Amino acid sequence: MRKLSTKIWVLIIAYLMVTIVFMYLFADFLYEQFYVEDTKSEMMEIGENIQSMYTGGKVTDEYVEMVEAFNMHSNYHIFAVRNPRELSACVPFEIDYNTLIGPNERRILLNGETVTKIGYEERFKREVVSVILPLTDQKRLEGIIYIYYPLAKITELAKNEVAILMVGGLLFTLVIAIFVYKSLQRIMRPLNELQRAVEQMSEGDYSARVKVTSKDEVGMLSEAFNHMAEAIQREDEKQKSFLATVSHELRTPISYIKGYSEAIQQQLLVGKERDEAMELIHREANRMERMTNELLQLVRKDSEEIELFPIVLSETIRESIKLLEGQAHEKNIIIATNLDDNIIVQGDEEKLKRIFINVIENAIRYSNENGKVAINCYQSNHHAIIEFQDEGIGIPAEDLPHVTERFYRVNKARSRFDGGAGLGLSIVEQLVKLHDGKLHIDSVLGKGTLVKISLPIMEED
Amino acid sequence: MSNLFHSNFTIFHYYRTWGDCLKRWITFIIIFCFWILQGCEDERFQSINQHQSFVASLNIIDPSLDFFDSKGERIATWKFDKSYTGATLIPYDRLVLYGHQLNEIDIYELSTGKLIQSIETGIGTTNAYYDQEEHLLFITNSKHNTVTSFNEHGKKQGELRLTDYPMSMDSHQGKLYIINYKAPVLSVVDIKSMTLVDEWSIDKSSSGLMIVEETNTLWIGGHGAGSRPNQVVKVHDLKTGQFIQEIQVSHMPVGFTRNEDIIYITNHGSNELFACDVKGNVLWRKEVGANPFAVASFKDQIIVAGFDDNQIYFIQNGEIQKSVSTEHGPFQLLVREV
Repeated sequence: MRKLSTKIWVLIIAYLMVTIVFMYLFADFLYEQFYVEDTKSEMMEIGENIQSMYTGGKVTDEYVEMVEAFNMHSNYHIFAVRNPRELSACVPFEIDYNTLIGPNERRILLNGETVTKIGYEERFKREVVSVILPLTDQKRLEGIIYIYYPLAKITELAKNEVAILMVGGLLFTLVIAIFVYKSLQRIMRPLNELQRAVEQMSEGDYSARVKVTSKDEVGMLSEAFNHMAEAIQREDEKQKSFLATVSHELRTPISYIKGYSEAIQQQLLVGKERDEAMELIHREANRMERMTNELLQLVRKDSEEIELFPIVLSETIRESIKLLEGQAHEKNIIIATNLDDNIIVQGDEEKLKRIFINVIENAIRYSNENGKVAINCYQSNHHAIIEFQDEGIGIPAEDLPHVTERFYRVNKARSRFDGGAGLGLSIVEQLVKLHDGKLHIDSVLGKGTLVKISLPIMEED
Repeated sequence: MSNLFHSNFTIFHYYRTWGDCLKRWITFIIIFCFWILQGCEDERFQSINQHQSFVASLNIIDPSLDFFDSKGERIATWKFDKSYTGATLIPYDRLVLYGHQLNEIDIYELSTGKLIQSIETGIGTTNAYYDQEEHLLFITNSKHNTVTSFNEHGKKQGELRLTDYPMSMDSHQGKLYIINYKAPVLSVVDIKSMTLVDEWSIDKSSSGLMIVEETNTLWIGGHGAGSRPNQVVKVHDLKTGQFIQEIQVSHMPVGFTRNEDIIYITNHGSNELFACDVKGNVLWRKEVGANPFAVASFKDQIIVAGFDDNQIYFIQNGEIQKSVSTEHGPFQLLVREV
């Protein structure tokens, strides 16, 4: 497969060649026309000069001699004819002889008009351009002036000129070929760079970028490529950090389990200590189980489609609260609700519950003891708005945009004991999106956090 | 035919009532009759009074015949659809017209202007000559190289094969002299028996001849062979065919006529009319017309037709008295004196 630039180059040169060949033929034709016309008019001028010297009556010997003398000094063949045989004077009678002029020409000349001809002349055995002028007196064709010039000489002349033109054309083609080649190289350079960058990327180097030098289609393509490369790189880094986090999160409980189980195996722990260790192992195993479950959930959510049913929202919220009452009770947290019972949304009950549980769980987790969590549900602008307001520790402003990222933790130094794996809000966000809803988090550090979820209401139609 | 019946049938059905149909038919028949009459009318030319003397020029570029009286006044113009190239007058008010490319010769009656007879001859007719003594019409043909004789009723009498392209004719005392235009031969034919009597050697491309009784000679004109124009009239002995003398004229003498003792020769190459006595002495010469092929004597005038200038000239005592315009290409002159 030849390169695109080569194809374009070949195409342009081919067009150019065709144009030049056409121009050659056209010029050849024009030159001939021009020369023939030029020759004709010059011959006509000379002829008229000689014609004007005829004073009428019979064409005299002196006149014929004068024309002959003229012929000696002229480029053209000029002669006067007075022989009536040659002038087709006998024409009503059959003539067994090839006359110089035909009966039709005789009629034209008799009217005092000039005859011009281009073509093969039997008399001269070659192609000529000829002009015939009449010498008439009182409607008598006393003679003619015959001037001719071989056409071959004209075409020869034209050929010379056209040959120069042809060589010029070839040189011009050569120059244009080089010029087009260089230009194409210049135009194709960003494309070549792009190709290199794509290859680099396919080999796994996501840092590949191209230099955007122009604002044309290629420039736009380069820019789009750069955006794409950035997005891929970002995603790749995210993936890497996600994997790192996952392995880190898993390694800690594993090392606990490994350490304590070894200690138990070697019977370093006995009695109450051993029971505590066993408890710890069990707790860590639970945590791992939960985390892997959540991870699985997250992974599944990426590709999962949900089935939607009409759901009374307040009911689902209440059920979710009920499941967490125990936790709230432990911290003596009051959950105050103000729910609109008329709101029905299209949704998956299980998944909606998961959303609410995660959010309320977070609210309880980050609330101080004896705190309060207020849950409001109301209708606004065809949407159901569910607000979860706690009076907890809040989230610093700089962390707020990242809280829904996987494994993101506000307090990096915080121990795993005070919370989950950092996947809860990621899951919430994903599920809300699946329901065509929106998640908004507002927080004031030390005062509390407001989580606002809006879901489209099922319209009765 | 079937188409015709078919159309009648549809007409009959289209005009529902019988009356409508009948009206239609009557109209059709009337129009048809008019058309036929119109057609007959076309064949008829302006009549020429039987007692009218005239000189007529046969014009061959626009095939037509112009009739003039002795004063040069136009009597009539007959315009033809056929490309006639020659004509001759025959007794009882008749005109013979022929064309080299025509298949037949046509005979018109001058006093009625009507075509009265067509005789099929085949193409190639070059000349028609009427012999007053034997009352025979001779037609020469270049296709078959023959001369054919017809009686006054247009009935073919005899035919004789000649050499090559027989054309110019003249007759004297039962003998017909015919020039073979493309061969250097003059054929002498016995009119009664239609047999070849003699063949004389003459120049090629000879054209035009005249018999001069006083000197017992036959004068022959011509165009000249090849590129060289002929410049002489050759005089031969009428009995033996022997060449006697050359009369030096100008270029291409082809037309002869005689008025009393003077013989007039028109030179179409040099546009000159020569007047000679019977011995061949040139009396005078005059430039007249452009490319004059034909000359004729009409009463006391000599008429010359200029082929290129479409004029005929009336000459008296060596001076041009008058010239009148004709249609294009006057090639032959016919004279009737009554």
